[in-house]
Amino acid sequence: MPATTFRIFRYQPDSGEAESYHQDFQLEHGEKTTLLDAILRIQNEQDGTVAVRYSCRSAICGSCACKANGKTVLACMMQVEHVKTDSGQEVVQVDPIGNFTPIKDLVVDMTPFWDKFKAVKPFLIPDGPAPEKERLVPKAAMEKIAKESKCILCAACYSECNSLAADPEFVGPAAFAWGYRFAADERDGQRKNRAKLYSGEHGVWDCTRCMFCNERCPKGVDPRDAIEKLGSIAFQEKVTSDKGARHAKAFLISLRTGGKLNEILIAPYTDPIGAPFNAPLALRMAQKGKLPKSPLTHRVKDRDQVKNLIKNVKETI
Amino acid sequence: MPRQFAYYPGCVAEFSSKELNATTKALAPLLDIELLPMPQATCCGAGDVAQAKPNLYLTLNVRILSEAESMGVDILTICNVCTLNLRRANKMVKEDSRVLEAVNEELVKAGARPYQGTIEVTHLLWFLATEEGLSLLEARGPRGLNGLKVAPYYGCQLLRPSSVMGFEDPDRPQSLERLITALGGEVSDYEGKTRCCGFPIILAREEVALKESHVALAGARDAGAQVMVTPCPLCHLAMDAYQRKTEQLMGEEYAMPVLHLPQLIGLALGLPTKTMEFKRHLVPVDEVLSIVGA
Repeated sequence: MPATTFRIFRYQPDSGEAESYHQDFQLEHGEKTTLLDAILRIQNEQDGTVAVRYSCRSAICGSCACKANGKTVLACMMQVEHVKTDSGQEVVQVDPIGNFTPIKDLVVDMTPFWDKFKAVKPFLIPDGPAPEKERLVPKAAMEKIAKESKCILCAACYSECNSLAADPEFVGPAAFAWGYRFAADERDGQRKNRAKLYSGEHGVWDCTRCMFCNERCPKGVDPRDAIEKLGSIAFQEKVTSDKGARHAKAFLISLRTGGKLNEILIAPYTDPIGAPFNAPLALRMAQKGKLPKSPLTHRVKDRDQVKNLIKNVKETI
Repeated sequence: MPRQFAYYPGCVAEFSSKELNATTKALAPLLDIELLPMPQATCCGAGDVAQAKPNLYLTLNVRILSEAESMGVDILTICNVCTLNLRRANKMVKEDSRVLEAVNEELVKAGARPYQGTIEVTHLLWFLATEEGLSLLEARGPRGLNGLKVAPYYGCQLLRPSSVMGFEDPDRPQSLERLITALGGEVSDYEGKTRCCGFPIILAREEVALKESHVALAGARDAGAQVMVTPCPLCHLAMDAYQRKTEQLMGEEYAMPVLHLPQLIGLALGLPTKTMEFKRHLVPVDEVLSIVGA
């Protein structure tokens, strides 16, 4: 039977401990014991004050996300032995999820998460009067939102989100996965309004594409992909005034006109008001030869094919 | 017979980070690689086109794959973002024949060649960090890096999502470390090496982006690194060109020179410094050159 040292994050401000620390616990456990079962045994057998949030123990309720040797996991879904082999470490350090404020040990304050979740209006808002019977939806239409419908709001995607770490107001991956789930639901009547709601200062164009959310999601939701699809909905609804959307437009113009990125166009087109304030950096870059002399120097062969694609390819989200 | 690749340097290495392209081309013959040009290849869309027009993104990237297929060789990249975009498109069409059919229909309608799904996309780092690549380096008898303390910086999109990238453990990557050590450098390890440089949003959300790049710059500095190395020209722009702005925003000093991966290899193999165009960097690399005796 394996024995493991668990190095658990402790923080008990209500007991007069203002500083956090890590406490080691030794536990003998089964080959297939989950991290959550190990923590609960420590709580039951060694120290009843260890605080952890959990409920279903079967990867449905989304309560027990935490970090195991630095990597965000659902504690109920991860075997202790797997954490050890995956990290190459014999000691298993358990920390609360990142980008949240701990309240007590592994329990964090989820208030900002729920506020952002509510802010995306995560419910159907149909247009017009209610039908006499149910609203029938073809299977293919539901398949478009099937992945996002699997989100269990565990916040594993927020834990290592690099945009959220730099901008605590960023609405974030899970909320946008839900936003997409309703924006792309054919029963919903708020597609354009949702595109506007999600395209604000801390919205979909705030995502830095670090891909941690897709990597960490225990349910395969791929929240970054949902954010991408919300960008596409914004373009289809012509909600494109945000600097992030303008940045994407500059790529499309570059593709249409030359085929490659036009680096003279991209900064002023993305941010016509702010670009002049970046003149000192632009000057330093120009002195080093980092700005192209002409926007017309890089044209790919057979550009007509590219123009045709831009004209013909239809978006289907 | 040199190993042939369809060479896809990406837009940034061709324009604002020309030093990367120049160094890669100079390095290739030393590593017995032949880089074949792709005259039809467009921009990959950098995640921006994918977020505006996903179907267009897919079709454009498959058109690039199709050009390589007509040349009968795999694609070699030197940019994280290009690598992710091309690999993702490749995975999407290889895994679902209906998607491939729909994309090919558009390609043919536009006068482009349809794609059969026979091409792989690899990054220079991945090619060199294998046994084959490391032996190619050793065969050149590298004069070494003289114990230069190098902070590996991976950035995001060469690691994640691992379902698309898949070369190594995205949380504990070792490819850059293997190269640094093989070339006689000393690895300065730090947590920020797999975090985002912020470049994708640097023009639209500058402050958020700079706060992101701060994490890696400060981490590398605190680990005692004398230089940072990256496999991505976008990370390079964020870390090098924007470094002074990040210092101003955060009230910190990093003074961290940043090398493109081929420049680090070039230094170890004794490529002329002029060829590697270090004068195009915004953070001077003079100290690095004097440590390695270049």
